Amino acid sequence: MLRADRVSFGYRAAAPLVVDEVSLAIAPGELVGILGPNGSGKTTLLKMLGGTLTPSAGEIQFERRPLRDWSRRELARRIALVPQETHAPFDFTVLDIVLMGRFPHLGTFALEGPADLAIARQALASTGTSAFEARPFATLSGGEKQRVVIASALAQSPELLLLDEPTASLDLGHQLDVQLLLAALNRDRRVTMVLSTHDLNLAAALCRHLILLRDGRVIAQGPTEAVLTPETVRALYGVDADVHRHPIAGHLTVTPLARVR
Amino acid sequence: MKYVLAILLLTAAAMGRPQTPARPQRIVSLIPAVTEMIYAMGDGSRVAAVSNFDHFPADVDRLPRVGGLLDPSVERILAIKPDLVIVYATQKELIERLDRAGIPYFSYQHRALADIMTTIRAVGARIGSAARGDAVAAEMDRTLAGIRAKTANLPHPATLLVFERDPGSLRNVYASGGYGFLHDMLEIAGGRNVFAGMKQQAVQASTEMLLTSKPDVIVELRYGDSLKNADIARELRAWDALASIPAVRTHRVSVLTGDEFVVPGPRVVEATLKLARVIHPDVVR
Amino acid sequence: MPPIRTRLALTLTGFSALLAVALVAGPLIGSTHISLGRVFDRSIAFADNTDAQIFFVARLPRVLAAALVGASLAAAGVVFQALLRNPLATPDTLGVSSGAALGAMLAITFHVDFAVAGVASIPLASFAGSVGALGIVYALASARRRGLSTIVLLLAGVTMTAFFQALILFTQYLADFADTFRTVRWLMGTLDVGSFAPILAALPIVLVAFAMLATLPRSLDLISLGADAAAARGVNVLAAERLALAGASLATGAAVSLAGPVGFIGLVVPHLVRLVVGSDHRLVLPASALFGAAFLIACDAVARTVWSSGELPVGIVTALIGGPFFLWLLVRK
Repeated sequence: MLRADRVSFGYRAAAPLVVDEVSLAIAPGELVGILGPNGSGKTTLLKMLGGTLTPSAGEIQFERRPLRDWSRRELARRIALVPQETHAPFDFTVLDIVLMGRFPHLGTFALEGPADLAIARQALASTGTSAFEARPFATLSGGEKQRVVIASALAQSPELLLLDEPTASLDLGHQLDVQLLLAALNRDRRVTMVLSTHDLNLAAALCRHLILLRDGRVIAQGPTEAVLTPETVRALYGVDADVHRHPIAGHLTVTPLARVR
Repeated sequence: MKYVLAILLLTAAAMGRPQTPARPQRIVSLIPAVTEMIYAMGDGSRVAAVSNFDHFPADVDRLPRVGGLLDPSVERILAIKPDLVIVYATQKELIERLDRAGIPYFSYQHRALADIMTTIRAVGARIGSAARGDAVAAEMDRTLAGIRAKTANLPHPATLLVFERDPGSLRNVYASGGYGFLHDMLEIAGGRNVFAGMKQQAVQASTEMLLTSKPDVIVELRYGDSLKNADIARELRAWDALASIPAVRTHRVSVLTGDEFVVPGPRVVEATLKLARVIHPDVVR
Repeated sequence: MPPIRTRLALTLTGFSALLAVALVAGPLIGSTHISLGRVFDRSIAFADNTDAQIFFVARLPRVLAAALVGASLAAAGVVFQALLRNPLATPDTLGVSSGAALGAMLAITFHVDFAVAGVASIPLASFAGSVGALGIVYALASARRRGLSTIVLLLAGVTMTAFFQALILFTQYLADFADTFRTVRWLMGTLDVGSFAPILAALPIVLVAFAMLATLPRSLDLISLGADAAAARGVNVLAAERLALAGASLATGAAVSLAGPVGFIGLVVPHLVRLVVGSDHRLVLPASALFGAAFLIACDAVARTVWSSGELPVGIVTALIGGPFFLWLLVRK
C-alpha cells in the first residue's frame, strides 16, 4: 500500500539529515510502529509518509503512485494524520472538530450534509466519544481530546491512519483507552495504521511490525518478535533491558535494567 | 559696625534673587507675537535671539534660533547670555531651568484680542520702553475702534472663519469658536461668528455642522507656505460639494493668506482690516 | 444543533436584516432634525434643499463609509485571529494598521499635496503605507524555505508595529504645531468623508480583498487547529495563508486610509459574533462583516449625537465601548 525508497530529509544543504535513506513498505491491514528515541526523525518520517512534507531525496509511493502525483485532497481522502497534540484556539465543539475531517470529500463551498453528519457520528461512536458531541473541545481531558482527534481522522474515511506519538501526553488509564481503541479499529474496521512512538511497551503491545529508527536511519525492521531484542534496545536507547513475553498480557514487554554508555 | 551689617544684608538680598535690569539689552524671545511687539516699539536692536518660528520682521532672519514652543533649547538660550527671556506660560520646564539659572523671564499666554494690547503694554514696561509700548497699544486700539465703528451699523452676516482643513477636501475643518482673538477680530470686522455659541477657540466642524450653520460668508485663512492662484481656485472649488450653504451659492467664499492672521501681535490690526474688507467689501477699503 | 446549511441561512438572513436596519436608520439620526419629506422633495432644487444636503452629503456618505470600514475591519480581524491562531489578534497586530498610520502622518507632516483620480494624498499615502508594511512582514515571514511561519509572522508584525509607532512619534516631533494637532486628530479616526469619492475609491480594493477571503473560511477552521493537521486534510496551507494575509491586509489598508485607525472593531466584533453563531468560520466571517458594518454605523451615530459641542471622533467611541466589553469577556473566561 505504502512504500518508501531511500527517503531522506534535511532542512538545509549542509545540515545533518533528519531522516537518512529510509526504506520501508506497509501492507494493507498492518499495524506498524516506528520506534525510536526523541530526535530520531520519527515525526519527520511520518509527515513524509503522509505527504505533508516533501523528501529531499528518495521517493514515496502510495498504491504504486508517487506521492507527488496525488493531489492534496485525493491523498487526504485515503490517508489521515493524527498529530501529537491538538490545540483549539477557538471554541469549537467536538462535533465541529470531527466534521472537519470531511473536508477532503467536499468542495470549497460545499457544506456538510446528512451523510457527512452520519459518518461523523459513527466516528464518534467508534471512539466512545458520542456523549461529548456538543461539548467544547477545550473542556475535555487529554485522553478524551485524543480520542476525539482520532474520531476526526476516522471521519476522513481513510484507508491508512498515521499517528504521531498518540499516547505521549496521556496518563496510564487514557493510554490504555487509546491503545485498545487503535487495536480494535485495526482489527474490526481494517484500518491500516502506522504510529510513531518512543514508548517501547506500547509498541510491543500494539504493533505487529516495528521499524526501529535511530538518528534518522533504520537499524532494524520486521515483525515485533524478531526485531525487539535486548540488542536492538541497547542500540536504540543505550539501555540494558530484559525483553520477554508477559505471561498474562500475551505480548512482549521491555524492562530497563541498567544504563550502558 | 551698623554699616558693615547693612552692606552684608544688601549683598545677600541682591544675590538671592535674579536682578531684573531696567533696560534689558539681550532679549531672547520664544514667542513670535512678542518679537513683533518689541520690534513695533522700535526696540528690535535689543533682541538677541528668536524662536524657530519667527519670520517677521525680515530682520529676525539674521538672528540665532533657540528652538520652538515644545522644544526650546535651554543650552542655546544660556549660551546667548540673555538678561530677559520671553516664554510661554506652558513652557514649565524651561521656566524652572531659567529660575535655577537665575535668568529673568517674562511669561505670557494669549487669549482674547484685548489681551494683545495688555501684553504690549506689559512688555513695554518690562523692557523699559513703557511709553513706546503704550503708544503702540493705543494706536492699535484706535485703529480697531475705527474699524468697529465703520461696521457697527452694517448688518453682520453669519460668517464661518476656517483656519485649518485637509487640502483638497472638506475633511477636518477647524473653525474659530466663540472665544479667542480670531473670534474677536471677526466681530470687530463686522461679522457674526456662526459658532459664537461654542465657547472654545477651535471647533472641529463636521459636514453636517457646516450645512446646518448656513454661513453667508466663508473666510479661509492660509498661512505658512503661500498658495499659488491655481491652488486657491482649486481649494475654493472644494466648497462646491456643500452647495446649499448660502455663502457657496452666492460665491462669498474667500481665502486670505499671510501669517498676520495667526500671530496675535501688532499685525492683528492689518489682519482685522483684511477681514473687514472681505466681509464688507463695499464699505471698507 | 441544526445542520450547517440551516445555520448559515439563518445567520446571513439575521445579520443582513440588522445591517439593513442600520443603513436605513443611520442617515436619519443626527444632531439636526431633518424631515424625510423635505429630503426627497424633488420640487426643491438640490442646491437649495438643506435637509437633502444634510441627508445626502453629510450623513449618507458617513453611514456608507461606516459600513465599509466596519465590514473590512471586522472581517480582517476574523482572518488575522485564525491566521495567527489567537483570538486576541487584531488588524493592528501585524503592523498593517501602523503602516497606514505612518503613511498618513508623513503626508500630513511633509505637506504632500496632490490628488490622483479624485483621491487625496493622505488616503493614498496611508494605503501605500499599509501595503509597504504588509510587504515587509510577508518578506520576513517567508524568508525561511518552508513557507509562512506563523511565529515569525507574529514577531515580525509586533516588531514592525513598534517600529512604525516610533517613526510616527518621530514624525510628530518633527512636525510643527498645527500638523502635530492634525495628525493626532487623524489617529482618532473619523468617518466624516463628506462625499462619495473616497468611498468609491476604497470600494474596489475592499471588494478584491473580500473576493480573496471568500474561499477561505473552511480552510481557516482547519488551519486554526494547526498547519500540519490542515495540510494532512487536504488544505493548501501556504496558499491559504498567503491569501488570508493579503486579503485581510488589503481590507485593513483600505479601511484605515478611508477613516483613520478605528480601534476595537477587529477585536470585539468577531468575539461578539462567536457568542451568537459559534466558531465555524463559514458563519463567523460573513456574520462579522455584516455585524461590523452595523456596529460601526451605530458607533458613528453615537459619536455624532452624544457630544453637545461638536462630535466625538468615532475611534474614541469604539474604544470606550470596546475596551470595557473586552475586559468583561476576559473576566468571563
